[in-house]
Amino acid sequence: MSADVKTNLKRLLACLGLGVVLALMIGDQEGNQTDFGFAFKAAVFHPRILIFLGIGVLLYLAMTFRPRVAPYLTRAGVRPLAAGTASVVASYGLLNWSDSGNLTNGKLSTLAHGARDTSGISVIGRLFFGSAVPGLYWILFVLAIALAAAAIIVQKSALAWGAAGLSVLAGVWGFVAHEMVRSYLHSPDHSTGAFVALLGYATIASASVTVARTSGSEAATGAFLDRIFGWKPGFPLFVIGTAAALLGTFWASWFSPTDKNTSVFGMSDLFHGYPINGLTSAYLGWLVWVLLVASVVVAGAATWLQHKLLGWASVLVGAVALLISLLSMHNFSRIAADQKFDGAVQAWQNIGTGAWTLCAAFTVLAGAGWMVARKPVDAAADPVSPRPIGSDSLVSPGKSFAFTQAMLVVVLAGALFYPPTATGFWQTVLVTEIGTYVLLAVGLNVVVGWAGLLDLGFIAFYAIGSYTTAYLTDTLPVKPPHWLHLSPLMAIPFAIAICLVAGVALGFPTLRLRGDYLAIVTLGFGEIIRIVAINAKSITNGAQGAFGIPQPVVHLGPLHLKWGQDPLQYWYLLLVFIIVVVMLFRRLENSRLGRAWAAVREDEVAAQATGVNTVRVKLLAFAIGASTSGLAGVFFASQIGYINPDNFVLNNSILVVAYVVFGGMGSLSGAIAGAAVLTWLPEFLKAQVPAEDRQMWIGAVILLMMIFRPAGLLPAKRRAAELSGLDKVYSAETAAVPAGEGM
Amino acid sequence: MTSLSQSPDVTHPPTTDVVYDVRNVTLKFGGVTSLSDVSLHMNRGEILAVIGPNGAGKTSLFNSLTGVYTPQEGSILLAARVGDAQTPVLLDRKFGPFSLERRSRKTHEINHLGVARTFQNIRLFPALTALENVKVGVETRQTSGPISAMLGMPWQRREERESTERAYELLGFVGLTHRANDLAGSLAYGEQRRLEIARALGTEPGVILLDEPAAGTNPAEKRDLADLIRKINVEDNISVLLIEHDMKLVMSIAHRLVVLNFGQKIAEGSPEQIQKNPAVIAAYLGTTDDEDAAAEGGTA
Ligand SMILES: Nc1ncnc2c1ncn2[C@@H]1O[C@H](COP(=O)(O)OP(=O)(O)OP(=O)(O)O)[C@@H](O)[C@H]1O
Ligand SMILES: [Mg+2]
Repeated sequence: MSADVKTNLKRLLACLGLGVVLALMIGDQEGNQTDFGFAFKAAVFHPRILIFLGIGVLLYLAMTFRPRVAPYLTRAGVRPLAAGTASVVASYGLLNWSDSGNLTNGKLSTLAHGARDTSGISVIGRLFFGSAVPGLYWILFVLAIALAAAAIIVQKSALAWGAAGLSVLAGVWGFVAHEMVRSYLHSPDHSTGAFVALLGYATIASASVTVARTSGSEAATGAFLDRIFGWKPGFPLFVIGTAAALLGTFWASWFSPTDKNTSVFGMSDLFHGYPINGLTSAYLGWLVWVLLVASVVVAGAATWLQHKLLGWASVLVGAVALLISLLSMHNFSRIAADQKFDGAVQAWQNIGTGAWTLCAAFTVLAGAGWMVARKPVDAAADPVSPRPIGSDSLVSPGKSFAFTQAMLVVVLAGALFYPPTATGFWQTVLVTEIGTYVLLAVGLNVVVGWAGLLDLGFIAFYAIGSYTTAYLTDTLPVKPPHWLHLSPLMAIPFAIAICLVAGVALGFPTLRLRGDYLAIVTLGFGEIIRIVAINAKSITNGAQGAFGIPQPVVHLGPLHLKWGQDPLQYWYLLLVFIIVVVMLFRRLENSRLGRAWAAVREDEVAAQATGVNTVRVKLLAFAIGASTSGLAGVFFASQIGYINPDNFVLNNSILVVAYVVFGGMGSLSGAIAGAAVLTWLPEFLKAQVPAEDRQMWIGAVILLMMIFRPAGLLPAKRRAAELSGLDKVYSAETAAVPAGEGM
Repeated sequence: MTSLSQSPDVTHPPTTDVVYDVRNVTLKFGGVTSLSDVSLHMNRGEILAVIGPNGAGKTSLFNSLTGVYTPQEGSILLAARVGDAQTPVLLDRKFGPFSLERRSRKTHEINHLGVARTFQNIRLFPALTALENVKVGVETRQTSGPISAMLGMPWQRREERESTERAYELLGFVGLTHRANDLAGSLAYGEQRRLEIARALGTEPGVILLDEPAAGTNPAEKRDLADLIRKINVEDNISVLLIEHDMKLVMSIAHRLVVLNFGQKIAEGSPEQIQKNPAVIAAYLGTTDDEDAAAEGGTA
């Protein structure tokens, strides 16, 4: 009994300690000149510490009564409720609700403070912001989730319907209130807060509806998604596309969002009398509606009837609509730039979210058609097509496959048409951080994830790629032969070839080593390359590095492309690289070599005994990974224009490994997601926490991830099985082998 | 065969009919001698069993035959498939009259010469499906490279299809078709043993080395296994080298037996001869109690 008390006491203390740590983490970390302990005192000796201690106690209770709590956590509706709660909290606490410096600048709390006493806003809006009851929106929110949680616990559908109604009310009310502020201020607004809150409440509402309609059953999110997406392949995409199209045309701004904020209805008037071409004037007048209706109708028919020919028709209509939209957008934005509308100097500037959303919608609708058109013929009839792990050989695959395909289309549409609507800051981040590291992570995933070789010197190949570009573009002290002056894009094959060789050169002597030893040697290799770059002044120009690496150009017959300063241009170049590499690697993963990599990773001796030439297979992993890194290096050098050894420090190698592990080792989508999230997070946190706290929060996120989702964000099928299946394997073995028979 | 009758030495028939010709092999680990002066030969098409008490050196012999270990002395010649020339497994790099370094052919090279094996403690690729495990074996005989895989070349697709078909065939052969898309790690113990055999067969071997394939399986599975081994031997014309502790199983399927004890070969002959051989009986009875019991359990 006393032992029990002791463990409980320990646990309680640990939880309270965690509360204190949280209290310290949230808020400023720095002392000041007169009082170095200022931050600590502010965090701990302040009434707000009680909130954090309360969190600790709650955690303690949750842990102690876990066996009692756990069955509720797996019930239907819990996960969407958590997701919805998270997005509403993020929207209320973190995101901006207003752009305008007029009334307020920033988050909901400041906006509410200003808006609740502004008489120009209707009383409905002011009520939401708390004119009668301060913080009403938080109260509504807590009520809604409390109701939903109660419904999950006691399984009363009346409660669930109540929660659904309340969340719809709170979501819509908030959205309307925000619209009122917008119309009162008369100024354009690009804040996302109200929108995210609406989505969050929609998720909570759907969770509540789920609770109301399924009594007490276990949640089966995967099966649920499979059912939705497998029911009529492409249909969910049709719904998403249609919603996006309506949003893009009826809600979002089309032109000059910071000045005129014209909607699609105002476009014709705005450009009346200007020399836009015939297509554009038709487009702005009526063609856009025809295209919209046509692609929605065809995609709807194709996905509903699951008719292959209609599917192709939908692809065609979507593509044509996209093309015409882009042509018109180019035309009117160029005319506007000629007229210096809103400070524009070249085409594509000042186009609002609406036009880009419509483009994304056309892409998604075409994608819906494509899913129908490419739907596999009845898979059960085909005995040798690959099937997902664990499926009975006689059941058709299809379902989760449809989900993956749909996600692919949505991600592609987002990657194509979100960046133009982002701010310059985010566009730069997208290119220099997110995109570049995604490419690197995809390359390292081959080495670490697939072949299981821990490479801590990966950035060296990035450096080699960059310096190769600098050499071939004649910006290093050593000059290439004059017939070998190349534009950066022409340097790609050379950089890839050199990195292949470098990968083999590093791999050959080191591949006898395993695990930690290999990691140390590769780490040394990375440092050697960097130090050589610093010290070999006559070749690399030492610590100053190379300057004036030219920007990429393409002259291909009639096609002349020249990259300039605009990050957006580089984003599309990078996107092409990423898509090509990912497509090639996807094939590789499911090829002979991909399986051989998995075999070597799982059991090298068995792989050898099965005839796999392990040295060759590992060298190929090194070489292919290295060449991807080299490609990223070429891009980096020509995008940034100057390189020096400081760009290639050990820390970057470790970061790439972290991205791959975070995303899910051995999973392509995981490597992409991991790199994207972990490069996005620090930039996102810039606006949320003090600069000196940033690393701490990133560390906390990684820590939580590794505790609660050790296989990564999007675990690889093969790896996930390895992680969860391994103890099963070994226990089966040890149970079955009589003692003393192991080798 | 005429050549056989011409040969005066019955234990060493002409080389063309010998799959493995092992002469005077000695393998030491520091002070431990796992194999001392072992000579044996394996005829084409036979099921040869290697038996002996625990620690006798059976697995060490397998590892020497497949290039995992390099014996310090002796020679091993291999001609796994019909019509193959005899190839040395152990290579000496010579410098004039001096033997500089002795190494074994790499395990995967020996596999490509037509030797497949299974392991005493199952070594599958647990995170791959059963089908993929077999495909790994089949595909080591294919030629398409990474570039054609990335570009999805037609010949690569054809090879992929062929390997899947062959893998299904082999899974059918060992009776695992229904588990094709399950992870190897999630199969039952007996199924894992059979999957290992299927993976080995995927490399189209001339000889297969099975290290205690019946360990840890139940009597019904043992019967199936005996049938499977016979089928491999007769239908596929594959020579089988078998380590097994279960005497009943060994005596029922082996054509010949070799008995090892403390790293030495103490007997060789037909099952009847071995059962009567006094040295063998002494080796099994002269050991400690529990192994005694094991041997009795095996013959009972
Ligand atoms: N890698 C090694 N290093 C050191 N000693 C080894 C090694 N491999 C085998 N041995 C030794 O060689 C001897 C023979 O072992 P081996 O595994 O070949 O026996 P076995 O006949 O297969 O026995 P069992 O029936 O238990 O499988 C043992 O004494 C063992 O300890
Ligand atoms: Mg053994």
